Amino acid sequence: MSGIAILTDSNSGITQAEAEKVGVYVLPMPFYINEEEYLEDISLSQEEFYQKLKDGADIHTSQPSPQNVLDKWDELLKEYEQIVYIPMSSGLSSSFETAKMLSEDYDGKVEVVNNQRISVTMRHAIEDAKNLIAQGKDAKTIREMLEEDKLNSTIYITLDTLYYLKKGGRITPAAAALGTLLKIKPVLQIQGEKLDAFAKARTIAAAKSTMITALKNDIEGRISEGGKYKYVISIAHTQNEEAALVFKDELQELFPDAGEIIINPLSLSVSCHIGPGALAVAASRIRGE
Amino acid sequence: MSVKTIDAKLLSKMFLTGAKNLESKKEYINELNVFPVPDGDTGTNMTLTIMSAAKDVNSLDELSMENLCKAISSGSLRGARGNSGVILSQLLRGFTKVVKEYEEIDVAVISAGFDKAVETAYKAVMKPKEGTILTVAKGAAEKANELFENGEEDLDVFFRGVLDYANEVLLKTPEMLPVLKEAGVVDSGGQGLIEVLQGAYDAFCGKEIEFTMDQATSQKAGETRKLNMEVQADMEIKFGYCTEFIIMLNKTFNVKHEMDFKDYLESIGDSIVVVADDEIVKVHVHTNDPGLAIQRALKYGSLSNMKIDNMRLEHQEKLIKMSEQAGETTKEEPAMEKKEVGFISVSVGDGIGEIFKNLGVDYLIEGGQTMNPSTEDMLTAIEKTNADTIYILPNNKNIIMAANQARDLTEDKNVIVIPTKTVPQGISALIGYMPGTSAEDNEAAMLEEIQNVKTGQVTYAVRDTVIEGVEIHQDDYMGIGDSGILANGKDLEAVTIGMIEKMVDDASELISVYYGSDVKEEDVTKLQDKIVAAFPDCDVEFQNGGQPIYYYIVSVE
Repeated sequence: MSGIAILTDSNSGITQAEAEKVGVYVLPMPFYINEEEYLEDISLSQEEFYQKLKDGADIHTSQPSPQNVLDKWDELLKEYEQIVYIPMSSGLSSSFETAKMLSEDYDGKVEVVNNQRISVTMRHAIEDAKNLIAQGKDAKTIREMLEEDKLNSTIYITLDTLYYLKKGGRITPAAAALGTLLKIKPVLQIQGEKLDAFAKARTIAAAKSTMITALKNDIEGRISEGGKYKYVISIAHTQNEEAALVFKDELQELFPDAGEIIINPLSLSVSCHIGPGALAVAASRIRGE
Repeated sequence: MSVKTIDAKLLSKMFLTGAKNLESKKEYINELNVFPVPDGDTGTNMTLTIMSAAKDVNSLDELSMENLCKAISSGSLRGARGNSGVILSQLLRGFTKVVKEYEEIDVAVISAGFDKAVETAYKAVMKPKEGTILTVAKGAAEKANELFENGEEDLDVFFRGVLDYANEVLLKTPEMLPVLKEAGVVDSGGQGLIEVLQGAYDAFCGKEIEFTMDQATSQKAGETRKLNMEVQADMEIKFGYCTEFIIMLNKTFNVKHEMDFKDYLESIGDSIVVVADDEIVKVHVHTNDPGLAIQRALKYGSLSNMKIDNMRLEHQEKLIKMSEQAGETTKEEPAMEKKEVGFISVSVGDGIGEIFKNLGVDYLIEGGQTMNPSTEDMLTAIEKTNADTIYILPNNKNIIMAANQARDLTEDKNVIVIPTKTVPQGISALIGYMPGTSAEDNEAAMLEEIQNVKTGQVTYAVRDTVIEGVEIHQDDYMGIGDSGILANGKDLEAVTIGMIEKMVDDASELISVYYGSDVKEEDVTKLQDKIVAAFPDCDVEFQNGGQPIYYYIVSVE
């Protein structure tokens, strides 16, 4: 077997089944629902999760337990020489910090990547890592290259409702100020760091046009640097597949260079803060082709 | 003997009389508005604009051409309200720019002043439209220059020529603007300008009411002619001048004299007080022609302690002051913290004001349909908004120019006027604002947002008229869209729904209804149910706007 394993967590949107198919490994994120622990995609499906969310269950997210992380590393290191571990964004969770600390005992065998990705952009990073392994890069170089691309990605999310955002509390003050008398669809962004307010809209059409304009700016600017680099676009959503499919057709037409746009359900650790009915678009620079 | 020059004193008199004449025709000019909506009217706006200048002129300590011109220019600029008011203030600004260089002005200077006035006003309007006050002003300037080039020096001939020609142009405005023709009126702003010019000419001829004491006392019999006052000016103040003086009797003043004198005063005014003793008579009267009272009084002796106040001016000042005070108590946040970006929005109605504040507006200017805020109101708001960059949302097409003028007069802050014509456009612009983005990008984003919202407003007609081929009767309900009347009739609910039907298309997602203070709660609920049923593809949102005059303000996006 080649020397390097890619390990990520379920925030990447990569299911256990898919992971097996493409040859990567996925740690499930734990959730505490009414104080009971569930593991994403193992003991908790998307449907169950949203049902509980709608029922008003008390949902807390957590990072994978250190024991789970260590067990997985030890298991993988029986088969591989090195591990590139890509946890969810350090701006949204302390998974990275914990893993980084744990990795210090592994003599460079485990490289923990701090590239501040989440959901579909995290998936993009895993694609990049696979490409870099194929090019024969070592784990340290792969980590460094992925971290260099930290900001070469972007996510915009339109929420159907402000309710979960207010309830969850994991939002910056700017986003919290969005609450108004009028029904407003907030457009949030993730640029590496936190989930933050970006814009507001009153209709889905207006929100999509805001997201498209912002996406275009990001792609032409820092992501492709005026066409110098290839990029990939993905759509994510929370229980909003129909709208995602329509949005895909629109985007495919607007961004003919983007290749096939994939649609993923948004990872649950983000979903529990924004609730169902959200529609997101993301883009990242492609590394290693 | 022909008069060839005008000095500052005469020009001041001409200006004040022009202002006064405009004021006396205010209601008539308001009636000329094409849209028969109870709106911020041309006559009112122009009058408030020119009265702001008249106030400054009246409080001049020292009268020189330069001082006078400065007072007229800055007073009218700051007082400018509504589009016609702003254009009038620009005309005055251009005119005085030329005139202030001279101690006495003649046909040559006045012609040059007219030219400058027209040039300045055209520049102030983004898309100058013919058939308006601009056309009338241009006509006056053209005639003035023609007379000057023909060597005319006699100002009386000159003024008559200009005035007659300007009137001719005014009568042609319906041929230039079809909406005027259809409504059967001439342009209201043009009419207002004619009234100013007419008043000024009357004063030139000595046909005016004297304002100040020395003029009143030096008045010779026969020079005072009855002012043309057929049009009853102000509904609130019937007689405009509070006139007081003491007669130092030089002959007997018996009961019969007193009765005669009182009867005479009754015929020219009201609020009459005549108190006589052996040597003096104290007189108080409200009249539109203090000169007449004085003339009559001079029959009985010499006069002293004369005082003539223009009550309409005072009344206006009081109103302005009251609105300012109201503004200060209700709108001003205590010592606003310094911010990078601030928002000023013009709004009427508690509910709408609350929505604006909720969306981040720092300073609300009370105003809109019924009262167009002046440039000065805008300047006050800009001053009180402690931010480097300030966005102004006028939310009414008749307020945009006053906002632009305030922007041009502001030097220490970056003021950006987003030309929102309706409240929903203002709300959309605010929602489109993106914090952390450059002012240029935000301006572009907000301008784009206001294109994406359609507005409809339901009000009533104040008179019978015909617009766009639609016959409208007084007290009918009208649903007015972004570019005309969408529905009208006797039933409020039917008109509202009819209007919304014209606004909604396949791409529409959201119907927002802001209901006004004059609708009943149960009617609102009923309407909401009907709209929800009639437009199943749209979200429907009802908000209490609390606005007067407009029963419903509706946006579709």
